[in-house]
Amino acid sequence: MNSKESILSNIRKNSCADYEMPDIAVKGVHYDDSLQQFIDMTKAVGGNAHVVQVGENINDLIRSYYSEAVNIVSNLPEVTIATGNPDTVVKPQDLDGTDVAVVRGELGVAENGCVWIPQAVKEKAVYFIAEYLVILLSADKIVDNMHEAYDMLRFNDYGFGTFISGPSKTADIEQALVVGAQSACGVTVFILNA
Amino acid sequence: MSTKHSKAASAFLSNKSRAQFLNQSIWYVREKRDNVAMQLVEWEELRELSSSIKRHTVTHLDTYLEQFASRAEANGVVVHWAKDANEHNKIVYDILQQHGAKKLVKSKSMLTEECHLNNYLINKGIDVVETDLGERILQLMQVAPSHIVMPAIHLKRQQVGKLFEDKLGSESGNSDPTYLTRVARLHLRNEFMTADAGLTGANFGVAATGDVVVCTNEGNADMSTSLPPLHIVSMGIEKVIPDYRSLAVFTRLLARSATGQPSTTYTSHFRKARSGCEMHIVLVDNGRSDILGNPQHWETLKCLRCGACMNTCPVYRRSGGYSYTYFIPGPIGINLGMLRSPRVYSDNVSACSLCCSCDNVCPAKINLSEQIYFWRQGLDAIHRADPMKKIISSGLKYLYGHPALYYMGLRYAPLINRLPRNILYNRLNAWGKGRELPTFARKSFSEMWKKGIVR
Repeated sequence: MNSKESILSNIRKNSCADYEMPDIAVKGVHYDDSLQQFIDMTKAVGGNAHVVQVGENINDLIRSYYSEAVNIVSNLPEVTIATGNPDTVVKPQDLDGTDVAVVRGELGVAENGCVWIPQAVKEKAVYFIAEYLVILLSADKIVDNMHEAYDMLRFNDYGFGTFISGPSKTADIEQALVVGAQSACGVTVFILNA
Repeated sequence: MSTKHSKAASAFLSNKSRAQFLNQSIWYVREKRDNVAMQLVEWEELRELSSSIKRHTVTHLDTYLEQFASRAEANGVVVHWAKDANEHNKIVYDILQQHGAKKLVKSKSMLTEECHLNNYLINKGIDVVETDLGERILQLMQVAPSHIVMPAIHLKRQQVGKLFEDKLGSESGNSDPTYLTRVARLHLRNEFMTADAGLTGANFGVAATGDVVVCTNEGNADMSTSLPPLHIVSMGIEKVIPDYRSLAVFTRLLARSATGQPSTTYTSHFRKARSGCEMHIVLVDNGRSDILGNPQHWETLKCLRCGACMNTCPVYRRSGGYSYTYFIPGPIGINLGMLRSPRVYSDNVSACSLCCSCDNVCPAKINLSEQIYFWRQGLDAIHRADPMKKIISSGLKYLYGHPALYYMGLRYAPLINRLPRNILYNRLNAWGKGRELPTFARKSFSEMWKKGIVR
C-alpha cells in the first residue's frame, strides 16, 4: 500500500462521527455607503484611497502621488507613464528595483479593504516586488463582505490571484507596527467611475 | 511535585518586568481581537458555521482530500502524500535535489516545525532561509518560536538590535523597529532574489478548486514563490476545506481572531505553477488520521492555528511559550502535545486554570479546556499523576466520607489561622506557593445554621 492509500484507509478506519455540511446562509455585514467604508478600511489598514474625479488623469495622479518614482511598471494601456512592461521581462528578478507598479483590481471588499487581484501579467512578482503598488479599481466592483467577494471570484489561466489589503506590514518586533516588511511599502487604490 | 511547565514558569516570572511586558503585549492583541469581533453582528454565527464546516470536512476527510488532490493534479500541480514527518522531509529534499536547488526560502509553517524540516535540510547541505521577520530573527538566534502567530513576541527590541548588529551588520545601538525592519527587508530581498526554491505552508486547501490559500502580512510567502522557479507547499491533511463559500467564513475569522486585523494583508490563492515552473504539494498526515479515531479529542483537527487561545490564556500570558514542553504552546498545544505522546508531554496539562476563556475565543469552537480536563482525568492511567495530589485526593475522599471527622476538623480549623507563617507556608504546602491561604472562619456555616444564627 502506498502512502496515499495508507493515509486514506486510516482516515476511513478512524472516522468516528458523521457531520452534515451546514447551510452557509450567513447574512454578511452590509454598509449603507460601501464606497466610503471601503475607503475608510483601506486607510485603516495602512493604505491610501483616492476617488478619481471627472477631469483627473490617472497618469498625472500617479506622478503627483509618487513624484520621485523613476521605474514605473505596468501593462495597462491607459498607464502611459509606465517606463517598463512586466510582460516583457525575461525573468521575475528583472522587476527588482521597480518603484511603482500599476495593476488592476477586480473586486474591492468594504469590510476589510481587500482588493482581489487575479494575475494578469507574465510575472506575478510585480504585485509584491515594487516599492509602491497602485491599484486601479472600478467603484461598481466594491462589495460589502467576503461572502459576496467569493461568490463573484474569477480566476484565469495564470492560476494565481491574491486579495491585498494595504501595504506589507509586520509587528514582529515588540508589537510595533512597521509598514513595508518584505513587500510593497505603500498601496494606493485609485477608484474609478465613482 | 512541580511539573516542567511550572518550574519553567517560575524561572520566567523571576524577571518581573519581562513577565509584565509579555502579558501586556499579548493582552493588547486579545483586546484588538475583541474590538474587531464585536464590530460584526454575525460573529457568533460565523464561529458556529466554522465549527460545523470543519466538523463536516474532518469527518469526510477522505472524500475532500481525494477531491483536492485530483483538482490540484488537473491544475498541473504534483501532489505527494507523506505518512509522517520523515517521509515529508525526504519528499521535500528529493524535490529540491531533482531541481539542483541549494537555497530554499521559506514562509512561516508550523508543520515544518513539527517535522523538524529545517535541520533535516541543513544537515544535507541546503541553505534554508526563514523569511517571516519573526521567524528569521529566531532562526538567526537559533531558537524556536514562542508563539504560533507572533513567533518572537517574547523578545525586546534591544535583543533584536544586538542580533542584527552581529549577524546583519546593522548600526550599533540602533534598536528602532522601523530601522530594524528595513535592515531585514534588504537582507531578505537578496535571499529572495537568489533562492532556488520557495516553500510555504497552507492555511487552507480548497477541495473544489485545488487552490492552496496562504495568508501573510509581510508578503513573504508571495516573495518566496514569485521569484524562484519551484514552489513546494507543506500542508497538513486537516487543512482541506470544501469550497469558496466555506473559505469566505474562514477568511473572515482568521485574522480577526489571530491579531485583531479585519484581514491579513495578503490572502493568496495558488492554483497553478508559474509558466515554466513547478508547484508541488506535500500532504502530511503525521498522526492526524489517528487523532480522527479519538472520540474525546478529534475536534482538535478543526484548529485554524490562529493563536487566539494562547492570547487569551492567563497561564500562557504569564508563563510564556517556552514554559511548555511541546513546540505549540497554550491550550491547543497542550492538547496536541498529549495527542503526540501523553507520556512525554503530560507536564503541560496542569498549565490550565480551567477558566474556559479559550473555548470562548476559538474561531472553530474547539472545546479546548474540556479536552484538557479529560487528559487530567486520564493521567493516573498512564502513571503520570502527581503522587502528592493522589495522597491529598485520597485523604480528602476519606474525610468527606466520614462526617464526624469532617465536623471535628472544621471545628479545629481556625487554629490554623494562628500558626506562624514559616510553619504554614512550608514546602509541602504547594497550595500556598504564590498565594495566601484563606482565613478559616471561627464558626462554620453549618454550625451557624444549626444554631439558627443564619437563616
